Amino acid sequence: MTSRGSVVVVEDDQWLAEQYVRTLKKAGYQVRHVPHALAAIDTIDEAVPDVIVLDMLLAGTTAMALLHELKSHKDLAAIPVVLATNLADQIAFDDVSSYGVKRMLDKSTMHPEDIVAAVRSVATV
Amino acid sequence: MQARENESAGATSADISSVGLAAHELKSPLVLLRQLSLELSSGDLSATERQRVLDQLIQTSEKALRLTSDLTKAEHLQPALFELQPINPISICDDITYELQRLYSAHGRQLKRSRIRHLPPVIANRDLLRRILLNFADNALHYSDESGAVELHAQLLREKGLVRVGVRDYGPAVSMKNWRELTKAMATTKPMRARPQSSGLGIYIAHQFATAMNGRIGAIRHRDGASFYVELPISKQLSLL
Repeated sequence: MTSRGSVVVVEDDQWLAEQYVRTLKKAGYQVRHVPHALAAIDTIDEAVPDVIVLDMLLAGTTAMALLHELKSHKDLAAIPVVLATNLADQIAFDDVSSYGVKRMLDKSTMHPEDIVAAVRSVATV
Repeated sequence: MQARENESAGATSADISSVGLAAHELKSPLVLLRQLSLELSSGDLSATERQRVLDQLIQTSEKALRLTSDLTKAEHLQPALFELQPINPISICDDITYELQRLYSAHGRQLKRSRIRHLPPVIANRDLLRRILLNFADNALHYSDESGAVELHAQLLREKGLVRVGVRDYGPAVSMKNWRELTKAMATTKPMRARPQSSGLGIYIAHQFATAMNGRIGAIRHRDGASFYVELPISKQLSLL
């Protein structure tokens, strides 16, 4: 199958991350998973993915620190971010859209295939 | 009747923050259970993947049930309801290692007991001590690196007359901001956020259980992770063992 593009999944729940990876790979994406923000910046810098799927609350550092970091790198700032979070009802989309967040998914109501639809809708390739 | 209504209203307002925190803490496993169930129902999995997801469903529901059971226990914690007795700290570490083996293995991780020399027994309640350590080890699984083992350890603090039993995880360092909140949470009787994605409810429960056994909980921040421990008084009744 031809690759639809590449995705980096930043999610510290290992089993949820495995599910995202399974679903995205079946949809034809090349996927890499990192469990926390510190490892994420290195992986994103190296892979320069088409889309980043990001959890809001991560072990060690929150997603906001990573979003700040990405914004400070010219080549990484343009990568669209899909925020998949348990806090969707507490986050105003306008507050995070300036950091490259293009879509926000509520983990408590989303379906597994929603991750593919969200990635597809923001990918520029 | 009026008195009962007032009492009920008082209890409700006092418990609101705890209920909110419990809801927050249970949200993650419930979200995972729902996502895994939806994936399972799609029928789009190989036999191996299906078995793996089923195992994850079982382990996740067991973890959520441990939390609800701890909450119930903490809510009805009365000294008269549990017995303090001499307990071998090494044997309890072995019990926890055995009990969580399947959960750790399902995550592709390893929980091991560090080499411990002879230790005197501690005065504790086996069930409460077990719950504290299960709580710490559950937490360590989430915050440790995928390649990092988690260790149960115990050491004698001879000059204090205590034994320290704890769990060491290897993962990203806890930020100073979160660490300050965590150490504050250890000294309070209210649940406080300890680490990102944590409401601090686990720390609060562990604190309640430790206090009920005349012990205390504590934590050490490492460059590559953290240790959480409980300190308990040494039993003088060595002859009982």
